Amino acid sequence: MKPRVDGDSVDVGTANQWYQAALWSAIVAAAFSLIVVVLLVVNYLQIKVFDPVRAERLELLKLKILDRPDDKQLLLQIRELDLQIRQDRIRRQNFSYKGSFLLLGGLAVFVISAKVAATFKKKLPEPQALPDRQKEQLRQAIRARWTITVGLAALGAAVLFFATRPVIDFSEEPPQKGIWPCFRGPGGLGISASTNVPANWNGGTGEGILWKSKVPLPGHNSPIVWGDRVFLSGADANERQVYCFDALAGKLLWTGNVPNLAADGAEPVEPAEDTGFAAPTMVTDGRRVYAIFATGDIGCFDFYGRTVWARNLGTPDSAYGYASSLAMYRDLLLIQYDQGAVEDEKSKLIALNAFLGHTVWETKRPVSNSWASPIVAEIGNQHQIITCGEPWVIAYGPNGAELWRAKCVGGDIAPSPIYAGGLIFAIEPYTKLVAIRPDGRGDVTKTHIAWSIEEAIPDICSPVSNGELIFMLTTDGLLGCYKVTDGTKLWEEDLREDFFASPTLLGNRLYLLSQKGVMFIIEVGTEYKELARSELGEDCHASPAFADGRIYIRGLKNLYCIGN
Amino acid sequence: MIRFGYIIISIAFFLVVCGIASPVPATPVSRQPQVQAGFERFPPPDFVETGHVVPSPTTPHPRQNIYEYIDALVLLAALGLASYLVLKKRSRRAIFVLMVFSLFYFGFWRKGCVCSIGAIQNITLSVFDPDYAVPIVAALFFLLPLVFTLFFGRTFCAAVCPLGAVQDLVLLRPVAVPNWLESGLRLFAYAYLGAAVLLAATGSAFIICRYDPFVSFFRLSGSFNILVLGACFLLVGVFIGRPYCRFVCPYGVILRQLSRLSRWRVAITPDDCIKCRLCEDSCPFGAIKVPTTEWPPRDYDKSKKRLAFLILLLPVLVLSAAWAVSTASDSMSRTHATVRLADRINLEESGKVKETTDASSAFWATGREVKELYAEASNIQAAIKTGSWLLGGFLGLVIALKLIVHSVRRTRIDYEADKAGCLACGRCFKYCPREHVRLKETKQTVGDTE
Repeated sequence: MKPRVDGDSVDVGTANQWYQAALWSAIVAAAFSLIVVVLLVVNYLQIKVFDPVRAERLELLKLKILDRPDDKQLLLQIRELDLQIRQDRIRRQNFSYKGSFLLLGGLAVFVISAKVAATFKKKLPEPQALPDRQKEQLRQAIRARWTITVGLAALGAAVLFFATRPVIDFSEEPPQKGIWPCFRGPGGLGISASTNVPANWNGGTGEGILWKSKVPLPGHNSPIVWGDRVFLSGADANERQVYCFDALAGKLLWTGNVPNLAADGAEPVEPAEDTGFAAPTMVTDGRRVYAIFATGDIGCFDFYGRTVWARNLGTPDSAYGYASSLAMYRDLLLIQYDQGAVEDEKSKLIALNAFLGHTVWETKRPVSNSWASPIVAEIGNQHQIITCGEPWVIAYGPNGAELWRAKCVGGDIAPSPIYAGGLIFAIEPYTKLVAIRPDGRGDVTKTHIAWSIEEAIPDICSPVSNGELIFMLTTDGLLGCYKVTDGTKLWEEDLREDFFASPTLLGNRLYLLSQKGVMFIIEVGTEYKELARSELGEDCHASPAFADGRIYIRGLKNLYCIGN
Repeated sequence: MIRFGYIIISIAFFLVVCGIASPVPATPVSRQPQVQAGFERFPPPDFVETGHVVPSPTTPHPRQNIYEYIDALVLLAALGLASYLVLKKRSRRAIFVLMVFSLFYFGFWRKGCVCSIGAIQNITLSVFDPDYAVPIVAALFFLLPLVFTLFFGRTFCAAVCPLGAVQDLVLLRPVAVPNWLESGLRLFAYAYLGAAVLLAATGSAFIICRYDPFVSFFRLSGSFNILVLGACFLLVGVFIGRPYCRFVCPYGVILRQLSRLSRWRVAITPDDCIKCRLCEDSCPFGAIKVPTTEWPPRDYDKSKKRLAFLILLLPVLVLSAAWAVSTASDSMSRTHATVRLADRINLEESGKVKETTDASSAFWATGREVKELYAEASNIQAAIKTGSWLLGGFLGLVIALKLIVHSVRRTRIDYEADKAGCLACGRCFKYCPREHVRLKETKQTVGDTE
């Protein structure tokens, strides 16, 4: 077959059978490809739109089964839905796979047919009359320059678009407002970055109280805060619960139950009434919350109340009931599990993998049962886990290896250590405050104790310091101020109230919450000066939490939020 | 026809090589690792009721190095053959056949990877990251087309690049794009090249690969967005010849510059141009330059002043573009996974989001300190800031030079293939009457010899 040359173009005419065949092949192939494309798009939309809805339904059912593990009907429903989702997914994947081959084939036939058809319609070149070359050249050059200028403007617009998008400067220190992640806040030091916290309120009239919510089960642990969520725990002999409150409105968002995972035959726990089953304060890393109870049960929940993991560490042998709060270092959940007497060799420091709950390491501790909480301090370029338990103050590295120890404390130790002004401060109840330099190794009892004082020493409340002054508050209300450098007493004041909550420092103000719910606000200085005194109207044992200009106080029955 | 038969034999040889290079049977091995991952993460269920036997997990064999070297050899052979067909044989049909072969071998068979265009990033990263060892095949894929272009023009684009081939195939109703518009549109390719080099140098992303519009077709799978992007390019390509090659391809930017220097390159006519104008509209890529005339005297003085102004403007444009692009560097830095992770962690830390992502969960599981991550992100931001100054300067320079180029009169007396823009496809050959004379003479000589 040869195309017929007619005038200045190669024209085969519509009658040419080869041209017709190629043309119709192209049309059929195009129609076929279009149908395949439509089917593939529908299949894709089913994968993207329909399947996720069912997957979400499956996830909800899986959540339900956690609460109703014995519901056979629900289990069957989950299995059927899961099978259906999987079968559909595989079928759609197969369809996509085969459809893409069909599409490729269809397009190939279309392109070949169209190209063959085009060869029959090919025109011979027909040079038109020459334009005015001179003018045309100039016009082309002008237009080209304008086009490039437009390109420059487009570049400017693109730059403007990206330059105005919000960005984060990571060279700046990340903001720490809005969180109070563990007992006594960041680092366990009792220091808050918030300074716009109110000083006056009245629980009786409701003045300054943003909200008040009932806490279902009792507990002496402190609230912890992360963003717009407040967490605390409560327990009795039968139940152990974690509560999540909305920080803005005080609504109880969810309650998480920690199961009793104690081994069969384990002795029942009978903590002292003042301690209760939920004395340890929880900890959060901003994604999950962790709670431990007097029974040795420990649970991890995500921010939506879903149980991530739970386990039991063995019933703690504690004279008044287990009360040490949890701490965290990176992905390690730190538990000071001091029990029995020294010779019982039951005490240990445990590090759990926070994500999975398994034990990463544990270190035996030569101490008796204690109620103090560990802190993690960044000292030099190293992190140290500082612990107190009769008779040792011991520092550990993040891998559980002991760094140093000082034999300087005794008795039933409840106050937690702090790190301030380059020194570790530990308290022997009723007896003494000890300042230790943390740069030693091994037994530093004789070499690194900077000073110690035997003044009015607390038995429950932990100290607080701004690096220059250190404050101690005894249970019967004696507040003392001492120099960090050498322990010189600057002043002492009897507040004539009982205190279980540890003091908190906010800028140049000291917040002290009495057992009767009265908050004393004292100016930090070399002389005693009371700034304000506000009443809550409910007894309080737990230390308050401070975040985003608000105070969260746990009364014996209610959780309060105080703010402007 | 006999010589054309040689080409067919050569292609058949390559196909045999392809067959040897076939790495694995046709089973979809990509699914197998998923099965293995499932076994690692979850205990296999018991199929007591059905008696189903769970198959043992298998690990697919890695592609052996020898096949990569075969790829490089095929590339070398294809480049050599393309250069021969373009410059000596001057056969559009043979070029077309080789182009189809390249599309199937480098495109559908080898799934579009390694490709010379993406290899820019491997080379760049190897320069800036001492820990990154560039695969020798990637280096060869980058260098061989450059070397061939330096000697023979853009024969790689003509018949070897699968991306060019797929666009060339769908070109059915070519519409001419005015030169002035093409010049402006081509700025995008320079910006794309600059951004790709910057992001590869900082280890942020291989955007050329990520946004390769045709690789999804070659692999018959890909994200919906990229498939749509590729479909758009092909649809546009039905009317506008090779839109990706001309307005987007970052490798094409480099090839353009080398092609200007090439020792031998495509000539429309085999000997002397008789200015018959028959070839004027033969190139669908607008790569035929027509003869020029003198500029009018009254415009000549104006042009001189404009040229002087633009030369003075050059450093201003370079500096201002450098500054402007640097202001967008923080947004650009989000292309880096570490910066994105730090962004996400920042959101989670500040309580703005509650859920974790897979990446943030993995980060938290490592136990790394957030401030370490922030310090790393900050360093990357600083590097991208420096790079964005250079990128902006480069773009400012390109724009300024283009403005200058379009203000300079150049003399051309014949119809010529554009030194930079000619894709060496060979479409114009048959439009030249002198080519027909040559073919007739060649045929006669062969006949006499026989």
